[in-house]
Amino acid sequence: MQQATQTGKEIFSLINTIDAISPDCSLEDVAAFFSHPKYSKLLSLPVVEEGHPVGMISRYRFMDIYLKRYARELHGKRPIRKFINGKPLLVELDQPLAVAARHVLANMQFPLTEDFIVTQGGRYLGVGFVMDLLHAMEQQMRANTMELEQANSQLKSSQLALVQSEKMASLGQMVAGIAHEINTPLGYVQNNVAIGQELFQQVQSMIAGYEALVDDLLDEQATEGQIAAQMQQIAEKRADANVQEMLGEMQGLMEDSLYGIAQISELVLNLKNFSRMDAAATEAVNLNECIESALNIGRNVLKDRVEVIKELGDIPKISCAPSQLNQVFLNLFTNAAQAMEGPGKLHIKTWSSESAVHISVADNGKGIPEEILTRIFDPFFTTKPVGEGTGLGLAITHQIIQKHGGEIHVDSRVGEGTCFHIRLPIVTSILMHQPAASEAAT
Amino acid sequence: MSKPTLLLIDDEERILRSLRMLFFSGYKVHMTTDPQEAIRILRDERVHVIVSDQRMPLMQGSELLGLAREASPATMRILLTGYSDLDASIASVNEGEVFRYLMKPWDAEEVKKVVAEAAAIAEASFAVQLHVDVPVDAASSKPRVLIMDNDESTAKTVHETLSDRCEIIWASDAQHAMEELAKQDVSVVVSDLTLGETNVGYILKTIKQLNPQTQCIVVTSFNDTSRLIELINQAQITRFLPKPVSKNLLVRNLESMLERFHAVRNQPALQNRQAVAPISDPQEKIQAGNFLGMLGRLRARMGA
Ligand SMILES: Nc1ncnc2c1ncn2[C@@H]1O[C@H](COP(=O)(O)OP(=O)(O)O)[C@@H](O)[C@H]1O
Ligand SMILES: [Mg+2]
Repeated sequence: MQQATQTGKEIFSLINTIDAISPDCSLEDVAAFFSHPKYSKLLSLPVVEEGHPVGMISRYRFMDIYLKRYARELHGKRPIRKFINGKPLLVELDQPLAVAARHVLANMQFPLTEDFIVTQGGRYLGVGFVMDLLHAMEQQMRANTMELEQANSQLKSSQLALVQSEKMASLGQMVAGIAHEINTPLGYVQNNVAIGQELFQQVQSMIAGYEALVDDLLDEQATEGQIAAQMQQIAEKRADANVQEMLGEMQGLMEDSLYGIAQISELVLNLKNFSRMDAAATEAVNLNECIESALNIGRNVLKDRVEVIKELGDIPKISCAPSQLNQVFLNLFTNAAQAMEGPGKLHIKTWSSESAVHISVADNGKGIPEEILTRIFDPFFTTKPVGEGTGLGLAITHQIIQKHGGEIHVDSRVGEGTCFHIRLPIVTSILMHQPAASEAAT
Repeated sequence: MSKPTLLLIDDEERILRSLRMLFFSGYKVHMTTDPQEAIRILRDERVHVIVSDQRMPLMQGSELLGLAREASPATMRILLTGYSDLDASIASVNEGEVFRYLMKPWDAEEVKKVVAEAAAIAEASFAVQLHVDVPVDAASSKPRVLIMDNDESTAKTVHETLSDRCEIIWASDAQHAMEELAKQDVSVVVSDLTLGETNVGYILKTIKQLNPQTQCIVVTSFNDTSRLIELINQAQITRFLPKPVSKNLLVRNLESMLERFHAVRNQPALQNRQAVAPISDPQEKIQAGNFLGMLGRLRARMGA
């Protein structure tokens, strides 16, 4: 409803209320109309019968007839009906401007000899000038372009938000996994320390016992009985098998603890490296390192049941945003792991050609049916249940690869597996030549 | 009494070595990284308590505990995990029927206490036979099923399947539930986690303190892992069914919980197998206290 009045308005502003002529009007009268200053701007006159437009007579056509020799005498009194164009350009009031413009452009004559009739429910309202229509159309398009530009920039920012939300989603999955990775070593380290503490107290009391014994032995006033009791006490503590065994095991537990602490530190370091999201900061990076880094982070997704086969070739550094490529690889690895129902294999290969670095990530998971293969890079396309898939992983992957001037392709067979192939151009930069130059200098 | 037997399973040997040190003086400790080996040990030997990790390459802990339940029903099952995801915790209730769901890193004293409690309970239940078909005593009063769910379909399913055998109460708010609980204990509770405006977690926890025989089935679309873990430990819910629940699934679980109720009622030694941990949330503790107080007054008045 709102829309109709809105579009009606567009056409309405184009209407010139002009008294139409009747088809019974004589040529003489029409001539008078055309020469009247009120109608001087008109290319043509609308012809209306009982409220409905029946045609149009253009100034051009009228002159053609009327200026012929004897025409005035021959036809002057005859009605115009015979001479009119029975198929005038008609525009309904509530048509959208664009539709009207399209209709008029498609049907108008060249050179332009007639304007168009505006009707409402088929009844005559007035005449619109083609030029005005085109002008209005142009303005609208300009406004639309602005709107489009606005929409586009809005889209861009919401895309940014999407990237962020996917980051959060994959972060959420990652955090859950990493919590496990950290809690396991933390579990035994903390427990070992607690055990160590208890043991320490026992050992302390044992030492105190020895000290008391030595004191007794040195003390000339100490009785045999006192010394015997002290010795008895110590003997009991020594006989406590627990302390003995615990002392024996403690060495191993300490080693385990150090190992666990190292593991936690490594994880934390990895996380830090990984999430160093100085967003688009580019560096010269060897992609093999990004892959290792992503594998480290994704370890908890993969380790349970995925055998990782690496064939990392000798590839040159390329200039890229490492944190973004980390994300690309993590996405691919996660997808691969999620595509496997039981244990599976992940085959990661890198190599280089003259102008590009290549990475392929292949899995032997369930594969992608052909009918969805073209949609997997679409934002929000997912076949996974809520909470597991956001459908943004590959969309973002695609975006990142594109931003780096590269390409990503997929090849998949249902029941056999999926292979993603990424190609990133080697952009040689000064930065990358530097080490070589300094080498030459020394 | 000889030392109770403890079986530890984790894919990380360092966890096993560390835990063993905590227990070796008081227990006969077995440990393994291999779930098959664990099952073998359970078959060969009377094991009081099994403590398992959740995430392991060969088998999930909840699944292993499910197998343990078959291989040695009397053994008390504890999950010790550093990874709390919803599916794992649901499986640990429904399949593993765990006594406790503990988190890594753990508090040494707490774990010791829980294992000791579990070992004592196991010792007591070795004496009685588990999972025997107890003839339902026709003379005894009808079992009562309390529904705390605003969702009509739950009540409808329960009515359709059990109305001939059970007294069914559909409580639409906490007050109503309390009045019914004051009248008489219930056999099975089927509950969502919210009832009207009320968070019913504390009611479930209190019910179990009130009457350990009561079996709790939670049906909900609510999914918060940490709350579920609390309900495992502090309310010993025996089933957690995410909504929408198919009618069949609900019926199947209702039947088995009714059986469980009868078994526990006839063999009180089994009651302790579902002993609850104290309520940890301070607000819930207060709510539960008030609830028990009001219930006591109501009961006194009704008795009078
Ligand atoms: N390696 C793969 N094997 C099988 N299917 C895949 C693989 N990678 C992606 N897909 C399919 O593409 C869809 C989109 O992937 P993605 O954009 O990463 O979103 P999400 O993983 O959140 O679903 C997935 O839901 C899945 O159906
Ligand atoms: Mg994905």
